Formats: sequence, structure tokens, C-alpha cells
Amino acid sequence: MELTPAQADALTELINIGYARAAGALSELTGYRISLEVPHVAIYPISEITPLLEEVITSEVASVNQLFSGPISGNAILLLDREAALLLNRLLTNRPEVQIFDGAAREVITEVGNIVLNACLGVFGNLLHVQVNFTVPNLKIDSVREVLKGVTLERQELQYALMIHTRFHMRTNDVSGYLVIILGVVSFDRLVLELKKWEERQLT
Amino acid sequence: MADQPPAQNEAMLAWIQEFAPYGVVTTDVDFRVQTWNHWMEIHSEFNSQRAIGRSLFELFPDLIERRLVERFHRALAGEINLLATALHEYLLPLSTTVRESGYQHMRQTARIAPLVLGEQTKGVIIVIEDVTQREFQAAILRTQHERDQILSWALAYLLKARDPRRTIREVFFKVAEHLDFDTYFLYLFEGSTDAIKLHSVGGVPPETEQQLASLPANNSFCGFESESGKALAIGDVQSSSDEKLLIPRQLGIRAYALLPLLVGERKIGTLCFATRTRAVIDKEELGLLSTIAEYLAVALNRESTDLALRDAQQALGEHAKQLEIKVAERTASLKETISELETFSYSLAHDLRAPIRALIGYCDVLVEDYSLTFPEEANAVVQRLLLACGRLDVLTRDLLQFTKVSRQKILLSVVPISEVLADIVSSAPPRLKEALVIHEPLLEVLAQRTLLQQCLVNLFDNALKFVEPGASPQITLWAEKVDVPLRNRALPLPFSPARYLVGGTGGIDTEKPESEIPPKPNPPRVRIWVEDRGIGIPVESQQKVFGIFERGPNYERYEGTGIGLAIVARAMQRMGGSCGVESERGVGSRFWLEFLQG
Repeated sequence: MELTPAQADALTELINIGYARAAGALSELTGYRISLEVPHVAIYPISEITPLLEEVITSEVASVNQLFSGPISGNAILLLDREAALLLNRLLTNRPEVQIFDGAAREVITEVGNIVLNACLGVFGNLLHVQVNFTVPNLKIDSVREVLKGVTLERQELQYALMIHTRFHMRTNDVSGYLVIILGVVSFDRLVLELKKWEERQLT
Repeated sequence: MADQPPAQNEAMLAWIQEFAPYGVVTTDVDFRVQTWNHWMEIHSEFNSQRAIGRSLFELFPDLIERRLVERFHRALAGEINLLATALHEYLLPLSTTVRESGYQHMRQTARIAPLVLGEQTKGVIIVIEDVTQREFQAAILRTQHERDQILSWALAYLLKARDPRRTIREVFFKVAEHLDFDTYFLYLFEGSTDAIKLHSVGGVPPETEQQLASLPANNSFCGFESESGKALAIGDVQSSSDEKLLIPRQLGIRAYALLPLLVGERKIGTLCFATRTRAVIDKEELGLLSTIAEYLAVALNRESTDLALRDAQQALGEHAKQLEIKVAERTASLKETISELETFSYSLAHDLRAPIRALIGYCDVLVEDYSLTFPEEANAVVQRLLLACGRLDVLTRDLLQFTKVSRQKILLSVVPISEVLADIVSSAPPRLKEALVIHEPLLEVLAQRTLLQQCLVNLFDNALKFVEPGASPQITLWAEKVDVPLRNRALPLPFSPARYLVGGTGGIDTEKPESEIPPKPNPPRVRIWVEDRGIGIPVESQQKVFGIFERGPNYERYEGTGIGLAIVARAMQRMGGSCGVESERGVGSRFWLEFLQG
């Protein structure tokens, strides 16, 4: 299963809208100019994402995930490698000496994940006219394998993972991460359908 | 929650209202408070009666100022929001629960979520967690960590410092940065007076430094309060009327730490860190500064020890130089004496020759002209006179030869042994040619050609002379390379254990031999062996055999003055080589001459 170029473009645009909102929220929160970028979007069968991510993130990873339900349901996870997460925390709180994930740092990363995930999933809801509900954000700091073990959905149907490579720009620093949205095939079909409708609405 | 039986819901609700260790507030879609749990009653100034029904933003207007209203709206739209302490400090401004923290408000982590009943969103639910203790603890750890870092930095820096008095300035700046001090004074005891002298100061106008240059040790602001030698924090300086604090008052200092510098029990000075911006110095700060003062004391002490060491080393160096000069003078004077003696013996031997020749001449005249007229006894006397004169002649000749070897200028060059032997053999009597066996290959040595020849000739002469009566002499000559330096050699034992060694390094040389070839540190050497089957040298005599005028025990049987080997020894010494003998009585002797390799 692959995204057609048109689908990939539409999805990228949608995510960017969501990211713009997230960036705005983060900028306001910290007082620094922050921007988020989507250089790349792709879709993979769920069995492939663990080895794929293990290749690009070799250290431990900080992940924030939220389950969402409604006509489109699944699990959304923001992944940052450990050092990137710590850097993000240091930059956002202006505490350059923090080197470990203490309580305060964990909360900060959770909130960042929460803001980004809410923004993206909220966009699905708003623009695709689909009502989506989320769970409380959950932080897990572990190896890529361990983190992804916990996120596959409990259903039997075929599952796909949308991999959205994300770049955070702030204060002359770049932090890279991955937004992974796991959907069942039914939800994915629905998403594609709504995307098409959205595109059509744009053109009229 | 909709799935559970109503009784269970009610129980849970009751628990949340009464016992939950966090604040729980619910509102309707217009953000008017619907429930207000017990925790909220305790920690805010509102009880549930006063809170319920009112808008959250009316109860806490600073939510609007801090632009958090949007979060509530998002929650209403279905998003769950987490607010981290590090990014917001708190959601609702409630009073602090940890007084020591010095925070104005309680530190909180909060969650705002939609309150959903069936398909409808009825409002929002807010959960607030008190994390003040956690944050305060973390802040303490951070400060401790920073202080530990300053201390270890200061320790490393001071211990490495070559000039602790200048280094304290840099340490001060680092400490000042972290702890908010703006002035420091370093006073040291100088000599055995009761005054302390200012060695380093910062944060004070230069004109004032004069005034501060020297203070009495016992009764000044930077001296010692008591004999306890403990660090003191002196606060509220401006409001004090203490005489001693006049100077800091004038300087605008509000508080300062007085830190004694101790080496063991001994006081070497004091260090003061002062501030103009606050009136109190707390215990932790004093502790930190005390430790730094300890490090400084160690560094200063080490510096003075180093200085003392340097002085001692210098004195030692001077003394050694003086000794060297004396030794050089004595050696020079000794060399002069030896030179004079050699000149004297040379002149003596030289001057004796003429009268000896005269004696011999007159004896000859007696023999020639008067032997026929003299009675037999008279002729016998004349014969004995002649013999004696002959001996005198030989003696002086030998002595002359010996002193020549001592006095002549030596120039070393590479000499092939074979060439020298060829010269000797070409002018040698047949007796030598018959007796001599030469083993090839013969190497090259660094020597003076004429002296080498002299040495070999003397050895051959001895070998030919000192044989059993009736026996024919046998002389064998060979050369070998020797790589091990003289001192380190384990000497082999061909004949007998004792051997006699002359020359090598050590011993006063009147002159070092000049050489065409520059000397190497441990140069390879060449030995020439001359072996004979003569009468041999008994062990007791081997030691003395190279001495002047030394002869073996049966010397009357053999002619010669015994100077031959002395000449060899002296010549080898002058050429920078050595010689020796291995011998056994009745078997023979092996003489060796050792040269630097050519």
C-alpha cells in the first residue's frame, strides 16, 4: 500500500496546518520563535516501522502517544531521540544545565507532545469534518523497539503507519523527530476518502 | 464512567470530592464552576459555596492575563491538555505549600480535559497536582551541584596555580558570579610582626588600597576576632557601631565573610569576601567560602615551600660551582707539578748522558793506553768500571726513552697493525723472525704509529729474552675486536686468575691524546695479543710488572733495566688505551694491548 503523490501532498499540507498551530502554541508558551516542518511523509505496513525507526534512531527515544477514536481511530506517537528531547527541554525552559530526564523535563516533553498531537489530530477533526476524541498523553522513555511494542492496536485488522518526519526549528537549533500515526485499514480508507473530499472543497 | 453502575459512580465521586490528594474542578461549557473538591477548599481562599456557580476566570483573573483561556476552549473542543510546571509554573495561583522554598505560589502540574456525557461535551474537568516540594528539592540539588562544581574547579585551579595570590582573583570572580559578592581582601602575615599585609584586593577603588595596606592582626575587620580560627559571617555592617567595622562601613559593605587561612594550627593570613548588595550571608555560603579558603591556604603554603626549595637549590648550585672551581684549580696545579717533574727527569737523564759518556770514554782510554802497563787487579777494576758505566748508560737511556713517551705530543690516526709489523720484521734480527707467528686477520687501531711500534718491539724483546736457558722462544701475535667497554667486561681465564690491568679511563693524564677521529661514546676496541712460552710471571709480581724499574724475581739472570713494560704502559695510557698481562710461571705470558678501533 502506497500513498499516491497527490495523497502525500494533501496529507503533508494538512499536517503543516496542524503544525502551524502547534508552533504557534509553542512559540507563545516559550516566547521564542519556533517553527515545525514536514520534510517527508510516507506510509508503511506496521511490521516495517520498528526496523525502519531503529535505523534512524539508535539511542533511547522519548515518546508521547495519544489514542484517538471516532470515525478515524488509531494511535498517534511523537518520537524524539533522547538527546533531542533533552535539548528541546533545555531550550524551552532555558535551563542549560539539565542533562537528565527529571520530573520537570518529563512533563515538558509530555506537554510538547501533547500540543503537537492535539494540533494534528485536531486538524483532522476540523478540516475533515470528522469528530475525534483523544486520551491523556502518555510519556515513555525507552528503546525504539520497546516503545513501539506498546502502540500497536489491539484489533486484528491490517494496520498501517503514517511516518511523518518532523523538524523543530528554534533559536538556531534544529531538533528532528517522527510523528507516527497508526491506523487500521478501515480508518485509513476513511482518511483517504476525507482527504479527497477536502481537496475537492479547496478547489471549489 | 458512563458504563459503571450509579452506586459505584457516586462512591468514586465522593472520594474525589473528599479525599483526592489533588485539586479537581469541573465547569460547564461557559466555564462556570460546577464542582469544587475539598483539596481546592483548603488550598484556595474559596470554599465550595463561594466557588460554585462563578466563572473560573472571575475567580482567577490572572488566567486571562497569562493567556491560558485558549487551553480551556480547546479542552471544550475535545483536546486533553497537559500543562507542565517548567513551562507554566502553575495553573491557578494558590499559595505556596512549602514556606522555605521562597516561592510566591504553589507549583503545579495541571490537566484540562473535556467532560463528556454520552455524545455531548458538558464542560471541562481540571485536575491540579501540587509539585512544590518536588521543584524546591530539585532547585536545592541544582544549587548544591553548582557549588560542588565551583569547589572542585577552585581546588583544581588553586592547586595548579603557580602564583596563588593572582589566582585568588580569578577564583573570586567565579565565586562572585555565583554567590553575589563584589569585594574581596587577601591579607597575609609577613615575618613575625603582629600586622597583616594586604596582598590582593578586588572591588575597591585604588586610592583606598593605600589605607588598607596594613592592619593589626588582632583587632581589625579582617583580622582575628578570637583565637578560634573559625570562619565568621558578619552581617548588617552598615547598622553596626563597632569600631572595627569602620573601614567596611566606609566602603559601603553590608555583609562579609571572614575566613582564616590556616596551615595546620598556624595562621598565615585571612581572606574576606564582601557584598554591598545584601546584609546577610547564610550558612551554606559560609561553608563554601571556608572550603575555598582552605584550598587557598594549601596553595599559599605550597608556594612558600616551593620558594624555600628553590632558594635551597640555588644555594646548592652556587656551592657546587665553587667546589668545581676549587677542583679545577687544584687539578691545574697538580698537572703543573707533574709536568715539572717530567721535565726534570728528562733534563736529568739528558744531562747525565754527557758525564756518563765521559766516564766510558776515560775507561776506554785506560783500557787502550794502559792495559798493558796496569797490574791484573787494576785491569779487572777498569773492566768492572766499564761494566758499571755501561749499566749507567743503559739506565739513563731507558729513562730518557720513558720520559720522551711521557712528554711527546700524541696525534692518533688509523694505523693498520700489519704495516707496523712489516716495519718491525724488516729490520729485526733473524731470531725474532724465526720465533714470531702472526695470525691473520690483523685489524686497524687508533694509535700513534711510532709508539705502537715501540710497544710491540718492547714486548718482542721481553719475549725473546725471558726464556728458559737453552729453550727457543715462541711468540704468537693476533688481534681481536672487543665490543664490551672495559669496565663491564667479564674477563676470561686462560692461564691463571690474577691479571694486571694498566690504563683505561681514570687517572690523571697530563694531556688528552688528540685524534683525527672524533670520539664516540662507547667505541668498539681492538686488542693485540702477544703470547710467549717463556718463563712466565708469578702471581705476586704480575701487579708490579708494568712499574718503572721493576724486574721479576730472577732478574739477575737476564739483562735489561725493566723499563720496557713501563714504557709500554705509559705509551698505552697516552694513546687512550690500556694493557695487561695474563701469565703463569713456567708456562708463559700473554700480554695484551687494547686500542680504540681504527
